[in-house]
This record gives sequence, C-alpha cells and structure tokens, in this order.
Amino acid sequence: MQSVQTDVVVVGGGGAGLRAAIAVAQGDPRLRVALISKVVPMRSHTVAAEGGSAGVIRSDDSLDHHFDDTVGGGDWLCDQDVVEYFVAHCTEEMVQLEHWGCPWSRKDDGHINVRFFGGMKVQRTWFAADKSGFHMLHTLFQTSHQYPSIKRYDEYFCADLIVEDGRVQGVVAIDIATGEFRLFECKAAIICTGGAGRVYGQNTNAGIVTGDGMGMAYRHGVPLRDMEFMQWHPTALPGTGILITEGCRGEGAILTNKDGYRYLQDYGLGPTEPWPRPKAMELGPRDRLSQAFWHEEQKGRTVSTPLGQVVWLDLRQLGAAKIYERLPMITEVAKTFAGVDPVVSPIPVRPAVHYTMGGILCNGHTETPLKGLYTAGECSSVGIHGANRLGSNSLAEIVVFGKVAGERAAQYAKAAPAGRPETMRKQAEAVESRLLGLLNRDKGERIATIRDEMHEAMETGVGIFRKADGMQAACAKLTVLRDRYRRGLKLDDRNRAFNTEWLSAIELGFTLELAEVIAHSALHRKESRGAHTRLDEFKERDDANYLKHTLAYRTGDGPPRIDYAPVTITKSPPKSRVYGGEGKKVELT
Amino acid sequence: MARVKTYVRPMQGWWRRNPYYVRYMIREASSVFLAIYTVILLVGLFRLTQGEAAWDAWRAALASPGSIVFHWLALLTVGYHAYTWWKVAPKTAPDLHVAGSPLPELVITAGGLLATVGTSALVYLIVRWM
Amino acid sequence: MADTRTIEIEVLRYNPEKDTEPHFQTFQVPFTHDTSVLQGLQYIKDHLDGSLTFRWSCRMAICGSCGKMVNGVPQLSCHTFLRDYYPGKVRIEPLNHFPVVRDLVIDQSDFFDKKLPSVKPYIVPKDAKPVAAGAHVQTPAQFQKYYQYSQCINCLLCYAACPQYGLKPEFTGPAALALLHRYNADSRDRGWEERAELLNSEEGVWGCTLVGYCSEVCPKHVDPAHAINQNKVNSTLDYFGVLKFLMPKGGA
Repeated sequence: MQSVQTDVVVVGGGGAGLRAAIAVAQGDPRLRVALISKVVPMRSHTVAAEGGSAGVIRSDDSLDHHFDDTVGGGDWLCDQDVVEYFVAHCTEEMVQLEHWGCPWSRKDDGHINVRFFGGMKVQRTWFAADKSGFHMLHTLFQTSHQYPSIKRYDEYFCADLIVEDGRVQGVVAIDIATGEFRLFECKAAIICTGGAGRVYGQNTNAGIVTGDGMGMAYRHGVPLRDMEFMQWHPTALPGTGILITEGCRGEGAILTNKDGYRYLQDYGLGPTEPWPRPKAMELGPRDRLSQAFWHEEQKGRTVSTPLGQVVWLDLRQLGAAKIYERLPMITEVAKTFAGVDPVVSPIPVRPAVHYTMGGILCNGHTETPLKGLYTAGECSSVGIHGANRLGSNSLAEIVVFGKVAGERAAQYAKAAPAGRPETMRKQAEAVESRLLGLLNRDKGERIATIRDEMHEAMETGVGIFRKADGMQAACAKLTVLRDRYRRGLKLDDRNRAFNTEWLSAIELGFTLELAEVIAHSALHRKESRGAHTRLDEFKERDDANYLKHTLAYRTGDGPPRIDYAPVTITKSPPKSRVYGGEGKKVELT
Repeated sequence: MARVKTYVRPMQGWWRRNPYYVRYMIREASSVFLAIYTVILLVGLFRLTQGEAAWDAWRAALASPGSIVFHWLALLTVGYHAYTWWKVAPKTAPDLHVAGSPLPELVITAGGLLATVGTSALVYLIVRWM
Repeated sequence: MADTRTIEIEVLRYNPEKDTEPHFQTFQVPFTHDTSVLQGLQYIKDHLDGSLTFRWSCRMAICGSCGKMVNGVPQLSCHTFLRDYYPGKVRIEPLNHFPVVRDLVIDQSDFFDKKLPSVKPYIVPKDAKPVAAGAHVQTPAQFQKYYQYSQCINCLLCYAACPQYGLKPEFTGPAALALLHRYNADSRDRGWEERAELLNSEEGVWGCTLVGYCSEVCPKHVDPAHAINQNKVNSTLDYFGVLKFLMPKGGA
C-alpha cells in the first residue's frame, strides 16, 4: 500500500474543509496539507446551499441579537459560550470571503446587502443571489489554488482513521480511479465531511451526504452528539426533495394551503399582518414550519399531487423584477423540476430532511475527545445549533469553525511526535482487507433493498413527529438491517477501477449506523424540543430533566449506548420559545 | 487522475456528428467562395492595368456560363457568410449595458445586417448609375 | 403507477480492466413524467446492473457532476428528462473530448489539474485593504461586468462541445478562459497582466475559432464564447501596447 507523509489531513473538500486547509496554509506554509475528498471539491454539497450566511453588519443589529436568535432558535440546547464566539466571528469571515472575490449581492450604493431569514430579529443574512453556497464554495476553492502547501487528493474515498497511542495518526483512503488503498500518515486530521441527510428518503441532500466522517469518528469511540435533531426544511419540491430556499420567504413569499389560507397563523406564528415581519409567520423557524405542514396534512388541508402532499409557496407578490434579481436559481429550478414559473404560479413544496444539527462531539475549539482529531461544519456538533438550526447559520459555521479547526490542527501538528509507520501500516492493511471483503461477495442482498428499507423505517418511525412505539419499531428494524448488511451485500461490480457500487456499499455501512444513532437518541429523549417533537406523553419541553446533550457511543454490533452531558448556559437562561406576535412591517432591502 | 488505461475516442468525422457543427463548417467553407471571388476581382484590376483588350477579355470570361454559376453560388455563400458574421459579432463586443440591462445581441446583429444590406444596395445603385 | 411507460436507454460501457474499447449496452427503463435521464441511470444501477458507473451528486444542476452526451448533445443528466425523448431511444455517452475512464466517467484531470489553475483563478488584490477595514464597495455596474462569468459550475459541457479542444487539447478551453475573464473583469482584481501571457497565446483566446457551441450548451448561460472573443480585442490592444493605457489603474 502506498503511503503519503503529510502533516494535516483534511477529510472533505467543501466549505469547511477548504477553509480549514487555507487556514493551515496561511498560518504556516511549511506545514503539508492533504485535502482528501471523495468528489472534486466544487461538487461538495456546500455548492447547493442557497439562501445566505449570517453576519451582523446593520447598525440596528448587534451580536447580542444574533446570539439571542440563535440560542432561542436552538431551543436552549446550544452551548452559549460557543455561540458567543460564533456570532463574534461571522462578519469577519464574510468580509474575508468578499476580499477573496465572493460576489455578495449589493445595495445600489455598492455596500453589502443583507436579508431576513427565519427566526432572525434583524436582517443579517449576507447573500449572493440565491446561490450563496455555490459562490462561497467556488470562491474558497479558487482561492485555495494560491497555496502550494495544500495538496489535493480529488476522488479519494476516506474509509477509516488510523488511531495509534490514543491519537489519530493517519487516514486510509481509496483512490477511486484505481481502487487502490493509500495510507496518509499525518499529525492531525480534520473531519469536514458534511451531514447525514441520506439516512432519510425524502431529503434535499446530494447523493454524497452519507455521513462518512461521522461514521469514522463514531467507530473510533468518539461520541455523536444530539443526533436526534434532524432538520426538515419546510420548502422542498415534492418527489426529488430539491431545495427551495428560505430566502424566498426572506424576500416576502408566503405559504398557503389548499384553500389559499396562510395556515401558519394557526400554529402560534401569527397574526398574518403586517407582513413581512421578522420571526413571525413564514419567517418563523424551520422546525415550527415543518411541524405546521404535518398538522395541515393530518387535517386534510394540503394539496394532493402525484408526487405527494404539498402546500403552496407563493412568490407572486414579489414581482418579476425582484424574483429574477434575487431568486434566479430557484426560478429555474421551479420551472425545470416542478414545471411552474414562480412569477405567475405558486411553487408546490413540502418538508424534506435538510440538515443534521448533531454530529461529532467537539468543543468550541473544534477538538474532539480523540487527540489529533478535529472537526468542523455540518458533521460536527460544536454547540451552536442546539435543537434547531437557524437558516444562514450553517454557511457561517463552516468558515468560522473551518478556520478554527485549521489553526488548532496546525498547532497540534507542529508539536505532535512522530508516529510508527509499521504499526500504522498493519492497521491500514486490516482496513483494506475488510473493505475488499465487501467487494468480493457474490451472494447477498442488493444495496437498494436495504437502503430503501432503512429510508422507510426512518421516515415512518423517526419523522417530523415521533412516538415511542414508532421509534422503537425503527430501532428494532435498524438492528435487523445492520445484521443483514453484515451478512453481506451482493455487488454486480467486481472491478477495482472506479467502482461506485462498492463505495455505495461502504457508505451504506456508515449510514445504517448513523440511522441507528438517530433512532436511539430520539427514543431516549423523553421530551419535545426544537426539531425533536413527540406526539406521545412527552409533548412538552422538559428543562428539569432534559436540558442536556445526548451522546451516543458505539458498542460494536449492538445499538449505541446513550449518555448525556450538560449544556453550557452563560447569558441566556432558558425561556419559552416564542415566535409570531405583534410587530411592525419591515422595509425589505 | 488517470492511472488506469483510459480510452481516447477518435475525432475523425467529428463535424458530421452534430447539425451545429455542420452549420459551422458551412460557415467556414463560405469564406472559400469569398476568397475566390476576391481573387477574381483582383485579376480584373490587374487586367485593367494591361489595357482595353485584356480588360474586355476578362469581362467576357465573367459572362461565361461557368462564371455565372460560380457568381450565383458566391452570392449565396457570401450572403450566408455575412449573416453568420453578424450573428457572432456580439460575441466579440465587450459587455455592454444600457440602463442596467445587458445590450441584447439582436441590436448588434440586426444593426450590422441592415448596414451590410444598405451598403450593398448603395454600391449596386452607384455601379448601375455609372 | 398509471402513467409509467418504458423507454430504451443505450449506454456506453467501458471496463479498463477488461475491455480494449467501449461498446454499447441497452436497457429497458420504466419512467414517468418527471423522470430525469440521471434517474434512469440510477434505476439501471439499483435494479438492473450495479456495475454501470457514472458521476452525479446534487440532482439540481448546481454541482456540475452529471454531464453526459445524450443523443450526441452535451447535457446535465439531472435536468434532462426521458419524456422528451420518448418514444425514441436515449443514447448516453461520456462527455466528448475527454478520455474515458470507465463507462460514463471521463478523466477530468486536464481541466482540474492543468487548465483551471493555469488561469490564476483568484483575486490578485488591487489594494492592501485588511479584512478589519470591511468589505470593498462594488457598485451594481461593476458587479455586472463579471457576475455572469462567475456562474460556471465546472460541468465541462463546454469542453465536450468545443471541437478545438477535441482537436487540440492544449487549448485552455471555454470554462477556464471564462473564469480568467471573470477575474480580470472584477473591480477588486488587478491580475490582468499576470494572466496576459496565457490569454494572448495560441492556447488562450487565439485557439478559439468562434464555433460558439460552448455557449449553446452551457446550462448556466455563462456565455464563454463571449468571454473569450471579447478578449481577442483586448489581446490585440495589448499586442500593440495600448491596453495598459485603457485599463483603469491596476485593473478592471
């Protein structure tokens, strides 16, 4: 097996990974960085993020407002010291991106424009039309070309970490083009592999969002935190689950049911007027909006279409000029994939899984409990999202904490002692033989069979609303599915060169374990908070017993061991989470 | 990336595989007719310097059936050449914006075609009048 | 489902471990009104032949992974629909002008390792403004000058469309040259002189014969033909030493 000697390995080439790599390179150009990604970096799912990235710049805004919105949005499950750091560093990262060429949308005077987003009191979402993630990712990727110390390994699939002497000393990856394994010896590793949305069938996520990095860390004893909190984005296209950005609602769009009624007023988010108005009606937080849809569906007030039940996202009152200027991409998406022109017709939408609030446990410095292992972005649980993420906090997160991770990993790498290549090599060879074992089976089930059953179990048992019996059924089913997976999948493709079926089988292994973590974490949280809402006896938030983080530890073939850890409260003691109410109509900029 | 045995597909016959390319090749081929026509005109100019007999011989050659056929073909292809020329001309212009919106390509194309037709008509009239 | 029909999909297969050259294989694929070409391929892989290999990711025409030749035309397979080909056959091949690695997967390394880095695709700052001093001001007029060219998703359909790239792979090509122009035209950049040697060369704008098919196939309306050909004027002015007097101090 070929070996590569490097200092810092970055697993994942999306916004967080690129930002981390650049931070290492800027901090010390003598440190070697290996940026390993299973796709060419601009294919990373950051590219699909649409609405924007938060950063306080208006004079009527403040870090305290951003802090309060975030902590309230997270239903007080956020680690407030980390949120304080986060809100204080968002704006400088947005400016840094601007300096690197990011084409942020401007006001007529040429200054940065910001828009409203769900759950935010003041406009603070920087946006680049409705392709903010695309522009941020391309800016970061193109900027990274200036740093020769960053060596990219595009289309290398990271399959496992190498842990020796209680610290991460390497990563084993498959060169996808040839199917050959490569050992990357390193002093520090940063996992930036994104979320786990593909655990569910209906999702806004790309095919690559399979939680590989979470799975790798989990398998090496790092707990996954708060995994039960999966975010359903309220406005995705039926069928494909393609995202229609919250930015539409930030520009004044409304949601109506089959009677043309703005139903959110029935769910504590009203009154309807004046509109638009922050943190009310369609600018409420995502968990509330997705839950409202579910209730409307139960009441039979949603619209039946061949692709499922939907409600209408109505942009017509924005006018063609504003729609083409601010929302050109979703106009094209709506026309192409839903056959509607948002200028003249409302867009059919329904909730779909979008974001993983939980992830690899780390502190505010992105350090995981495993020495030498850092993590940033959606795959991490750094503590800012709590039980529900506010829109535009995630694009900000990847650069704020991507930078922190790069700096910290670099610091660690400089001081870390050398490893022992021979013992690392033995571990790597064990990984190789285990994964080649997956390749060489000629009896078993098809990948699609197990994957579809996992989707069914999760959608039914661990959906927007949960009940004990449903979650238990999901947990039981996942135990069975993991067992069937272990007994073997039959692959049609026996090649080593570019075998994406084999890689899908490896990904499925990770996804099944993550599904199990989500289901068990959900079952054990006997309260409703944020995106985890129960319809059984635990319908209310229970701060006395559950103002704490869930930690899931791997136990091998069995289900995860669930434990808890305290939440850090600094400035904002838990209050009730209120949206809607009276307010003034705002001037949209 | 390619550390495996990749396959390179041959380019032979590439322009026949897509109607867009066929039209492109016709466009490029039209310049052949333009070139030949230019040479004929240059020869005529040269004959003019050689005296009346040479000039009359050149004019008689122009009236031959073969020459008539060629000139009709040349008129057609050069006309097509002018049309495609103005169709792609906007691509060579800088990004122009009028009142915040991009200048439509049609403005340059239509303007150019009108100017071409107008100038040609003018030259024809002058020659006829003479 | 009531409106499920079946369409014939013919795909190019190539296995570098076994084949000396590619061959076609045909599948019968059920589809509905919304089924994309990509979903057709996924159906084949999930249910008929798991060894069929192709790139894809976002399914919403923004990541640039899923480019294929569909009936001889470069398309993003995620936003091309089977209904538009029925009852005819759909022939799917890897993007033209790139070596084939496996089935529908091309070797993209020429673009990502050579062409893209060669245009210096990053801001060469016009000023030394620190981040602490805030964002630059950029008026809508300045923004318009480059924004269209920043929309490129690197899908490589334009390279599959460009016969010059197919005939002479040293040509930098449409997407990379459009990105070069994007940075030259950005008011925050002053790197045009550093990019001039490449721009002015035979591998730069002068390798383009304005076939124009690149702009036809571009799914994001970047119009690389325009980016390249307007720079032929700039390149000429630069050749005569005139351009530097026309450029605003430092850059675009």
